Amino acid sequence: MRKLKLLLTTVLFLCCQFLWSQSRSVTGKVSDATGAPVSGVSVVVKGTSTGTVTSADGNYSLNVPASATTLVFSSLGFETREMDISGPLVNVTLNTAETSSLDEVVIVGYGTKIKKDLTGNIAQIKGSEVANTPVANFNQALQGRAAGVFVEANNGKVGEGVKIRIRGSGSISAANSPLYVVDGIPINEGAISGSALTDINLNDIESFDILKDASAAAIYGSRAANGVVLITTKKGKSGKTQVNVNAQYGFNKPTNNREFLNAAEYVELFTEAAINSDLIDGIDPRTPGNYAGSWLEYVEKRFTRYAGHSDWRNNETDTDWESLAYNDNSATKILDLSASGGNDKTRFFASGSYSDQEGILINNAFQRMSGRLNLEHDATHRLKIGMNMGLSRTVANRVTLDNGFQTPLQMVALAPITPVRDLDGNLYNTPTTTYYNGLFEIDEVKRSSTSFRNLGNLFLNYNLVKGLVFKSELGLDIQNQNDDYYGSPLSLTGAGINGYGLSEWYRGTNYNTNNYFNYATNIKDRHDVDATLGMAFQKYSSQSAWVEGQDFPVDDLNRLASAGEITGGSSSASESSFLSYFLRTNYKFDDKYLLSLSGRIDGSSRFGKDNRYGFFPAVSAGWIISQESFLANSDVLSFLKLRGSWGITGNAEGFGNFSQLGLWGAAKYNNASGLIPTQLANPELKWEKSEQTDIGLDFGFFNNRLSGEIDYYVRNTRDLIYNVPVPGTSGFSTQLVNIGAMKNKGYEFVLNSENIRGRDFKWSSSFNLSFNENKVVSLDGDQTLIPGNDGRYMNSLIVGEAIGVFYGPKYAGVDPANGDALWFLDDGKTTTNDYNDAGDFVIGNPNPDWIGGLNNTLSYKGIELSFLFQGVWGNQIQNGAGGFMSTGADWFDNQTRDQLGRWQKPGDITDIPQARFYYSNGTGASSRYVYDGSYIRLKSLNLGYNLPKSVTDKLKISTARIYVMGVNLLTFTDYEGWDPEVNTDYRAGNRNQGADFYSAPQIKSVTFGLNLGF
Amino acid sequence: MKRYILIAVAFILSATACNKELDILPQQSVAEESALSSDANVKKVLNGAYDAIGSGSLLGGDMQLFSELFAANGEIRWEGTYNQPREVWNKAILTTNSFVNSMWLEAYSAINISNNILSAIDVVNENDRDRVRGEAHFIRGLMYFELVKLFAKPYSAGNVSSNLGLPIVLEPTRAINEASYVPRSTVEQTYTQILSDLSQAETLLPETNSVYAQKVAAAAMLSRVYLQMADYEGARDAADRAISYGRQTIVTPYAKAFNSSRILETDNASASPEDIFRIMVSSQDGSNSMHLYWSITKYGARAGDVSVLQKHLDLYDPADKRLALFYAGAGNTVGSGPIRNGKWRYNYSNLPVVRLAEMYLTRAEANFRLGTSVGATPLQDVNYIREKHAELPPLAALDLDDILLERKLELAHEGQGIHDAKRLKLTVDGFAFDANELVLPIPEREINASNKIIIQNEGY
Repeated sequence: MRKLKLLLTTVLFLCCQFLWSQSRSVTGKVSDATGAPVSGVSVVVKGTSTGTVTSADGNYSLNVPASATTLVFSSLGFETREMDISGPLVNVTLNTAETSSLDEVVIVGYGTKIKKDLTGNIAQIKGSEVANTPVANFNQALQGRAAGVFVEANNGKVGEGVKIRIRGSGSISAANSPLYVVDGIPINEGAISGSALTDINLNDIESFDILKDASAAAIYGSRAANGVVLITTKKGKSGKTQVNVNAQYGFNKPTNNREFLNAAEYVELFTEAAINSDLIDGIDPRTPGNYAGSWLEYVEKRFTRYAGHSDWRNNETDTDWESLAYNDNSATKILDLSASGGNDKTRFFASGSYSDQEGILINNAFQRMSGRLNLEHDATHRLKIGMNMGLSRTVANRVTLDNGFQTPLQMVALAPITPVRDLDGNLYNTPTTTYYNGLFEIDEVKRSSTSFRNLGNLFLNYNLVKGLVFKSELGLDIQNQNDDYYGSPLSLTGAGINGYGLSEWYRGTNYNTNNYFNYATNIKDRHDVDATLGMAFQKYSSQSAWVEGQDFPVDDLNRLASAGEITGGSSSASESSFLSYFLRTNYKFDDKYLLSLSGRIDGSSRFGKDNRYGFFPAVSAGWIISQESFLANSDVLSFLKLRGSWGITGNAEGFGNFSQLGLWGAAKYNNASGLIPTQLANPELKWEKSEQTDIGLDFGFFNNRLSGEIDYYVRNTRDLIYNVPVPGTSGFSTQLVNIGAMKNKGYEFVLNSENIRGRDFKWSSSFNLSFNENKVVSLDGDQTLIPGNDGRYMNSLIVGEAIGVFYGPKYAGVDPANGDALWFLDDGKTTTNDYNDAGDFVIGNPNPDWIGGLNNTLSYKGIELSFLFQGVWGNQIQNGAGGFMSTGADWFDNQTRDQLGRWQKPGDITDIPQARFYYSNGTGASSRYVYDGSYIRLKSLNLGYNLPKSVTDKLKISTARIYVMGVNLLTFTDYEGWDPEVNTDYRAGNRNQGADFYSAPQIKSVTFGLNLGF
Repeated sequence: MKRYILIAVAFILSATACNKELDILPQQSVAEESALSSDANVKKVLNGAYDAIGSGSLLGGDMQLFSELFAANGEIRWEGTYNQPREVWNKAILTTNSFVNSMWLEAYSAINISNNILSAIDVVNENDRDRVRGEAHFIRGLMYFELVKLFAKPYSAGNVSSNLGLPIVLEPTRAINEASYVPRSTVEQTYTQILSDLSQAETLLPETNSVYAQKVAAAAMLSRVYLQMADYEGARDAADRAISYGRQTIVTPYAKAFNSSRILETDNASASPEDIFRIMVSSQDGSNSMHLYWSITKYGARAGDVSVLQKHLDLYDPADKRLALFYAGAGNTVGSGPIRNGKWRYNYSNLPVVRLAEMYLTRAEANFRLGTSVGATPLQDVNYIREKHAELPPLAALDLDDILLERKLELAHEGQGIHDAKRLKLTVDGFAFDANELVLPIPEREINASNKIIIQNEGY
């Protein structure tokens, strides 16, 4: 070894001597089209490896052999340029490269790839496309931007979780959301409230790479069945330090108001309903002597109670409770600072951010402070080390779930005849208000949820020999969350117990290490081979604790230290781990034929010893047809690639860490502990397996000004993990087993076009549209139906239908003769007025058929306009609150205005049954409360103006941009509720979709921003 | 070369070291085998069984609530927003009623726990074995009895050897297999099982057992079972035994028999001196859904879901001191609003399942029907309750109606409503005592999960 070194050194020394004696010096400066210096440009003598890079001021100096004639200047983002060595000074101007999306680098698991060489399906969304979108959860910024990626916020509460489905739902009981990987590390998603994803600042993100098909995702094996979202944070580039400041301020409003009865209408409808119910009982309460004991008396007594100090007979009070649920002054404030730069050896990106977003609902706000430092250092020419470190603190003021009396929009149920306050100025509560007055939540309840998040990793890359790199990553993700709650004696939770307090703590830690080799080589110019081989280990652990107490001396002392009685407390912990080995090889022949093979072996603590390890293979191939001689000279078609993939991925998330074991848990009685059986054992429990085939065509026309992708996929999931109902006489209600199968198939279309590419005016569009059909293929054995009609919702599982379809009675309108609500019998033709006799039908599907987005970007000189339309078609929504708010005055809840169209006399033709107080005329869950949920929405609109250079130069800054950004400005829908983008949070799940229950409409916002670069 | 070898070795080491990291056990649960492995553990399971029957869906309140809503008869009204109890009050119950579903599931869960205890009885210390076995039989018999009264046609409807009773499960469940699909037995078979369980319990249980089941609890339950079967001798003798165990006393005023809590009483065993068997409730554990629905927000309940109507109050002698327990209230207000029954007024109160006063009235009724005077004459028993609770002057003579009215008022809104109405063949709210509408449906879930081996009740 030493001899070899000596020999090499000698040879090298001799060579240098030789070159030195024969060389001359060339210097110069590299600038861009605007004249600004460009740093980090590679300057190489053509045909040799002699070269250097430009410094921060764009200058270079190089000794070149006497024989050299040409220098090659290249840099990412610029067109490569060759210059003759005409003398000792060679200055050069580089033009910005006209890159098509095909040349872009996409992130794949444990590596990168050029898009045109891909054989799998990966959608990339650049951070710059969604920068400054004022949303707390980055997923909301992705809505409508990628084919096959369905994004839906449960409601318009700020800082909550967002549902993501990549190519449909694959699972009934396990997780259906993708795996999130930040800078190579799969992250925690647990939390006691809210979503762990809101800890990440959108503006720190360089790109989202969404792995959709099995060949792209299978490198993540058992974690990848629902797709993988790879998030890469911004990295520094060598060169001048760039400092960026972004400030935004904006206003938030609900997308829609839904109207309810006013006081006069309320009194009219309920009086009519009471009389109708009396007539059913055979008495006319308007006849003297019949009034006592009548429904009419009952209702009018209630009116008097609800009207408080006012007189309901003359409409003295007319309260619009809905408007009181909203915060009229809701604002958003955002400040971002970032700096990036570095030199040849060390590069950095640093950022700090503060964002404060108030919700549209009273008492709802979300605040985040975050910082990030990403560093990279070339220690030697072989060794690169670095770290990516993000820190954040979020504080959320949450409102309760949609089914809590405290959730602000439940105030719509209160009677319009009820005044907000009594004559002393105190808020009314029950029994004057029909239900709890949600306005107490403003002053009588304190609620805050604080999270600290540390998401970081260290890495090293070591070049072993040419083409072979060893990479090691160690990631650590630590979450600390604390939720504090206090309800005063006037609040719902504190009433009767003199105040109620709760404090909850949660810590989630996750460490992960990836160690792998990347090898790439080119053989005889025609064979490109690369391979990745490695292992990963990940361990999650979580600890949580809570304590609650009651009886507080005064409202100001609302920590549990002051509680008169501690009524409960608990702590618990859980862990799980994954051990994985993976291998991937890619082969490219002649730049035309592509082949990729990958396999991953995953072991997990979540499965029984017999089924602990799973193998997840994938294979894919591509043929770049446009490289063939018969197409190579086409003027029109510039790129054409056919690709296909097949693979198996698994799903191990979302059903607990110990589901395979037979368990007994703790119980409590008479202040002593007890033990009770909680779970039946299933030692055979194993992964859900998803097998996906994808066929795709990538194309580019007119030098790739028009490019696109078409994909067809079929995804079959089997061994679904499902809590099968078992006979309750066993002492258990369900058991977790692998049963059944589900299928998703669909199409995706992507079209990107540069419509106009003028000198001043530019217009480009990108369009995506996807269709997905979901089908439950089989359930437990011969079982074909797991009905879901619980009286309020109807999400069911039916073989041959999509997951969670609404299955229940079909409403047949109103009997014109007597005003009875009617439903169809099983035959689908005959009608009945008895809900229990009604037949069951599939009356709606919460899964959309089509989703899509159309984004346009226009620029003229310094002005830029981009706007995104996003749409969802073919799904239905069920209003679970229909049985309360649209019942024809069945109980005292205020009613939707459509109830005024009720049947009143024989012959009336209407869909609204006769109003009957307490006699439930048509109030059961049925298609009556199912609506079309399709919509198109102007999701985002961004208008910006870049101040001209003459101005920025005077101000001594490099760039300045002012902009206005709108979110959800317009919505086009037939849905009668608040907002068609809805799935009530208290029950949202795989099967429980498409339901509305006093859910807040989405946030419509306008923000004004200023962006300065130094 | 050396550095490649080093890296390769490190790589392989890191991989193999992780393998044992895949063995992770839960921290809040234990495996089946250890749960029933020792004397101490089995006794913990027994405490778990009491916790199970004290659930809000069972004797923690819903079972009593449903009985009273069925028997409303214009004397109480369900005014709450929950549809599930309202359906019971309306006698128009959906097979998907989630309260009914929970009642069924949780009762069978309690039965399964009892079966587990009986299966592991050999690991219990010999000295305690009879007691533990007796308690398990008591809990199992009690659950079958409460279920059969609500989910099957009453015994008084006759045809007991053909009317459907309950699926009878006497072995613990370790896995779901063919044996897990158990069809319904007949009403007669179910009552036979109940009598067997409760009789064994009375034999095995000790006379004193803290707040847990004792001989007297089993005897009191047996008196109820015999009464349902119109076996008045059995009822009389069981009630007489319950009285003569002498564990409880009748207190004055009547209000002292209710709203007992551990906070007020230091001695658990006498939390209320009248309770023969009760569900223990505190701020720490247990639930009392009678309080939740019958009381008002001011006392930590809902807004006041059940109100008592004048028709009920009119049944009392105006001088009856038991009237004092009723109060007006709604939401946070006391003094105005609908009438509430103060038996369920305060939060975290123990929930009496059977009180001593009932034993006197059962003995009186049975003695009267049989023309006997076991223990005391019917007049003595009825007058005793009148004196101590109603604080009314004694009656000089009485007939059956007097006894039944006394019983109705004494036990008002404690969960005996529909069961007494059915055995006495009364009509409530226009429904005959054996009407389909007065029987809960078997939950739809159960019909499906049992592959329809469990047959639905008539009328659903």
